[in-house]
Amino acid sequence: MNEDSFYVRQFLTGEKDGFEILVKKYQDRVLNIVYSIIRQDRESEDIMQEAFLKVYRNLRYFKERSKFSTWLYRIVVNTVYDFLRKRRNFISNEDILEMRAATCEGPRDTLLTREKEAMIQEALLGIPLKFRAALVLKDIEGLSYIEISEVLRCSIGTVESRIFRARQFLKEGLLKLTGELR
Amino acid sequence: MKECIKVSKLLSRYLDKEASCADNLLIEAHLDKCLSCKKELLELSRIKELVLGKERKTLPQDYLVCRLRQNIADERCIIKQGLSWLSGIGDFSRKIIPVPVAVIVISLVFMILTSKQQLTEYSLEEHVLSGAQTTTETALGVMLGVLN
Ligand SMILES: [Zn+2]
Repeated sequence: MNEDSFYVRQFLTGEKDGFEILVKKYQDRVLNIVYSIIRQDRESEDIMQEAFLKVYRNLRYFKERSKFSTWLYRIVVNTVYDFLRKRRNFISNEDILEMRAATCEGPRDTLLTREKEAMIQEALLGIPLKFRAALVLKDIEGLSYIEISEVLRCSIGTVESRIFRARQFLKEGLLKLTGELR
Repeated sequence: MKECIKVSKLLSRYLDKEASCADNLLIEAHLDKCLSCKKELLELSRIKELVLGKERKTLPQDYLVCRLRQNIADERCIIKQGLSWLSGIGDFSRKIIPVPVAVIVISLVFMILTSKQQLTEYSLEEHVLSGAQTTTETALGVMLGVLN
């Protein structure tokens, strides 16, 4: 029995601590996945919270047919999809202005980092959603192709081609933004 | 050239260390002799590095746990309130509603019906002109719009 299963069982026998330990363990990973897909601070935190609430409400139905983290990430990705479905045009002008303002703050070295960050994030946003989700699970969270196929409920071949396509889009996007790869 | 197409499709997978042993051998042998595929692999690995090196966000340890505790407590509170409100309604209806409300409703219906019967016989004008006493029933009828 791995560590996560232990805490899941602890929670199911009425110990609230089990759930809280899992939350602490996964909060940053979940936040980075969500943020890399939607690039909005406040909304990312809300989605993260919503996903963990779903976990809390449904943990008793988790049958351990997959790893806890796979089950969690599936809930996270579905919560992101729901959010985007509800808010089709999710990047408002305000958000863009906010991001530009953020890139203009701070001393010169952090400016470069921020610019680079903003550029990568903008290029990521240019990738169609299902390709982007696969790439984020691979390169932000470091999952294997098998794990991604379980999270996204698709074949390994599909995962491979989504990641391949995502990188093509990313390359084109970055080329457009910088003129050349830095 | 044909091999380049095949290899370039496998490069992303190769980069992720997900290619089969046979594919690894094929790719590495091809890369040794093909500059353009080598260049493509280099570009892909730069892109991967950029994403891998993306700044990661971190939250204070208890940040989310506190938010969730609050949320779960609020949810329970709402459910409790809802339940107590429902049971309150139950108590209320058991104790207070039946007798007095039934009496009021029945008398209202009776009053309206009787006033409507009277008023269908003559209009309000005729009623006033006749000098007859304006009863509560008539007034209610006027208020409720039974009169024309
Ligand atoms: Zn080649």
